[in-house]
Amino acid sequence: LTTELIGRPVRRREDERILRGRTRYLDDIDPPGAAHVAFVRSPFAHARVGGITVPDGLEGVFGVITAPDLDGRARDLPVQGIQGGRVAEEGHPLLARDEVRYAGQPVAAVLAESRALAEDAAELVEVDYEPLAPVLDARSSEDTLTHWHRVSGDVDGCFATAAHVVRASHALPRLAPVPMEPRGAIASYNEAGDMLTVWVSAQDSHRQLAGLAAVLDRPEESIHVIVPDVGGAFGSKGAPAPETMVVAYAALTSGRPVKWTEDREENFVASYQGRGMEADVELALDEDARMLAIRARIRADLGGYLMPTTAIPAHTTAMLMCGVYDIRAADVEVVGRRTNKVPTGPYRGAGRPEAAYFLECTVDVAARELGVDPLELRRRNLILELPYETALGWTYDSGDYRRCLDLAEELVEPEHRSDEERVVGAGFGMYVERAGGLFETAEAELLPDGRLLVRSGSCPHGQGHDTTFAQLAAERLGVALEDVELRFGDSAEVPRGIGTFASRSVAMGGSAVVQAVDALKARCDAVAERLGGKVSLRDVAEAEPGLRASARFESELVFSSGAYGAVVEIERATGRLRVLRLVAVDDAGTIVNPLLAEGQVIGGAAQGLGECLVEEAAYDEEGNPTFASFVGYSLLTAAEMPPVTTEFVESPSPLNPLGAKGIGEGGAIGTPGAVANAVADALGGVRVALPFTEEKLWSALREAGL
Amino acid sequence: VKPAAFDYRAPASVEEALPLLGLDSSVLAGGQSLVPLLNLRLARPELVVDVNGIAELDYLQADDGPLRIGAMTRQVTLEHSELVRRRWPLLHKAVGFVGHPQIRSRGTVGGSVAHADPAAELPAALVALDAVIHLRSAEGSRSVAAGDFFRGALYTAREPDELLVQVEVPEQPDGARNGFAEHARTHGDFATAGAAVVIAPGGKVAIALLGAGPAPARADAAERALAGGADAREAAALAVEGVDGEHRRALCGELVRRAIGEATA
Repeated sequence: LTTELIGRPVRRREDERILRGRTRYLDDIDPPGAAHVAFVRSPFAHARVGGITVPDGLEGVFGVITAPDLDGRARDLPVQGIQGGRVAEEGHPLLARDEVRYAGQPVAAVLAESRALAEDAAELVEVDYEPLAPVLDARSSEDTLTHWHRVSGDVDGCFATAAHVVRASHALPRLAPVPMEPRGAIASYNEAGDMLTVWVSAQDSHRQLAGLAAVLDRPEESIHVIVPDVGGAFGSKGAPAPETMVVAYAALTSGRPVKWTEDREENFVASYQGRGMEADVELALDEDARMLAIRARIRADLGGYLMPTTAIPAHTTAMLMCGVYDIRAADVEVVGRRTNKVPTGPYRGAGRPEAAYFLECTVDVAARELGVDPLELRRRNLILELPYETALGWTYDSGDYRRCLDLAEELVEPEHRSDEERVVGAGFGMYVERAGGLFETAEAELLPDGRLLVRSGSCPHGQGHDTTFAQLAAERLGVALEDVELRFGDSAEVPRGIGTFASRSVAMGGSAVVQAVDALKARCDAVAERLGGKVSLRDVAEAEPGLRASARFESELVFSSGAYGAVVEIERATGRLRVLRLVAVDDAGTIVNPLLAEGQVIGGAAQGLGECLVEEAAYDEEGNPTFASFVGYSLLTAAEMPPVTTEFVESPSPLNPLGAKGIGEGGAIGTPGAVANAVADALGGVRVALPFTEEKLWSALREAGL
Repeated sequence: VKPAAFDYRAPASVEEALPLLGLDSSVLAGGQSLVPLLNLRLARPELVVDVNGIAELDYLQADDGPLRIGAMTRQVTLEHSELVRRRWPLLHKAVGFVGHPQIRSRGTVGGSVAHADPAAELPAALVALDAVIHLRSAEGSRSVAAGDFFRGALYTAREPDELLVQVEVPEQPDGARNGFAEHARTHGDFATAGAAVVIAPGGKVAIALLGAGPAPARADAAERALAGGADAREAAALAVEGVDGEHRRALCGELVRRAIGEATA
């Protein structure tokens, strides 16, 4: 019997099904007689909306839904608050009423026999727009949607008496999440049973269910949410979309199933984006280069409305502004401003990469100004004893930041040189990230044949739950991997849980699986003992059919951490940046499956590198997105990936039975700071804003006189 | 992304295709540019004339000296042709930079030439190689030198009622060497800029730039200078004199220098 499964690099057992095309994604579901939806979307970043005229006799059209149809029948999307801060009640309307606030905002929904006919008709819907001046950056916006400010310790005193004060400003552009499968929803209403069924490409069924219930004012028991196979999300399918709500409303009222699968253009312009934050950071240091206090003013470009989770990334950024350093005084303020762009929301890292970038770049600026080696400056200030409560109020549960940094330095082999053709530099970036938290659920059931069925409230969309959770369940019950079956994503089947985001699946979902299986095992053992010991699980199942146990695991946040190192080269003639090597050292506590963990790190690093090299969701001066296709928005390919060396430090978390933390985001969090610091090192200290395009670097080389 | 409604015809021969062509029709070859434009509703022809069924346009031959490429020849055919690799290596190099393998397996030589994207590789290579573009219409036939064919971004000398039927590439002089260099944000992405260079004995030099302006263009002054003994750096500086933008000028200059370096290595 296989017992040692935790910690083994088991290959993803879901891959055969996926690679053979035996998957069922949202667009593979085709309810007969369905109405297909195309949205009429605003062509303006900001405009007053007058009348909407729908021509008569549109071919194949069942109906057109506009905002007045929803009056009193569907609410705006709900808005989640943040601890200790203010969040405006500015939820996203399902369809625009008298104003549009970003190009791409849904204004009307056309229901037709096919998507093609729906698109034809959508073109013919006449909307009377009166364009207004758009606001396109957080700095010039006067409309504050979220605000959070915390002062802890004698910050002013520290700055007044500090031997050194270092100031630096940084900005991160908006990014499009670009999942391979765009968003979509299908809804169908059974009037006899008053049951609304919604299939949605999402990160879990629970938040979609809660959102539908709140927006449509229906009891949760009358809604059934099914998440089919999902082709990636990166955060963008966590909060329910306004379009999903319109689809559900349409199914309730049109008498037929309704289907919406967006195209790539819609995904680019209308799916919530990530980053879009800037910060002014000040560090006070004593004569020995010890960090005394930090002050940060962070501005977030939130977009036209608040999606349910829009406020969260900026809050997370603020709370992590002390990073891995022992800074006893902090004054951090974050202001989220309205702009005429699509809303932002969680995107891989969701506040963690922002904090790491702002802080780590500032640390390197400080090292240069003080004439201290950047690694030495970090080592002098690292938190060495954990648990540790930061000045901002979060308690880091475990970690070995020093070991991570030592390993990163050893593995990356930093170099700094230049010749006629290139300049080469090295840099490091550290991070600490909040992961887990809240609760997660699982149910374990012994099947009649002695196999184990586990239902989880967590929900995969590429992470590999079917493998890692099976490893956990199999080891705890003492059965083979293939004797464990897992089920996710169907609200009628799985226990009410939270879902997959914030690097929480193993720490929270995995711990719930462990607890449920342990409880089931205790019951099985009791039955076995009654049967005289030495019996198989099949015997147990026969003697006592339907044995099951459930668990709801709850914990405080856990804090993963890491140190990243990069060596980069900039070509003098063109300004082209090449990342020569990247080292990722992550501490996510206990690693259940090192193969999948490494995959997460490399995938996150690829997105972090894309952010450094090519990605930017840019708008023109009228607020039109310039990135509505892959011509305007570039993603890295395998050809641009440098060799990535990964290493894990395992400082188990004391907060869960596995000792696990989170690994889903480390690559995206650690990479940009390390690469940016390497670029600045190569440029003799000159700082360039992301993304590092050739033109910017070429100009910076000249500015630096290199 | 569903195209607006259009009529569709799939003629089996050039003769059958010609009467269908006009202001309101678009020719569908490999579809690597037209289909996205249709889907985004940026192109809205009344009639799409699908020429994929015209077998007589799919050939590569060089029996009488010049290379004759039928308009419907897939880019992958050019890429894998031993004949092309041996005798027109610049074309072989250039086509390898076109998109990804999937794109080259559907994309056609004639489609790329007729579409005339300023960032396209084949037009620049054909301009450097002094190719001739053969067109046919219901009225008759004509031939246009590649250097005169590309007139601007997505704009050529082809009239709406003409079908591009063949690209003819003259025989390369003995001892001709060549280089092709390009720069793109990511592998397989549209080129930011590029350069095609041919250097033949007897002072014959051709330098063509892509992405430096609205259409691929020869750098006459640089060609003369290089033929007259200037080094690669000097020739490159001349080649990019009219290019807009400091960085683009530097980038194009570097690519010309590299392409010359490859041709003289």
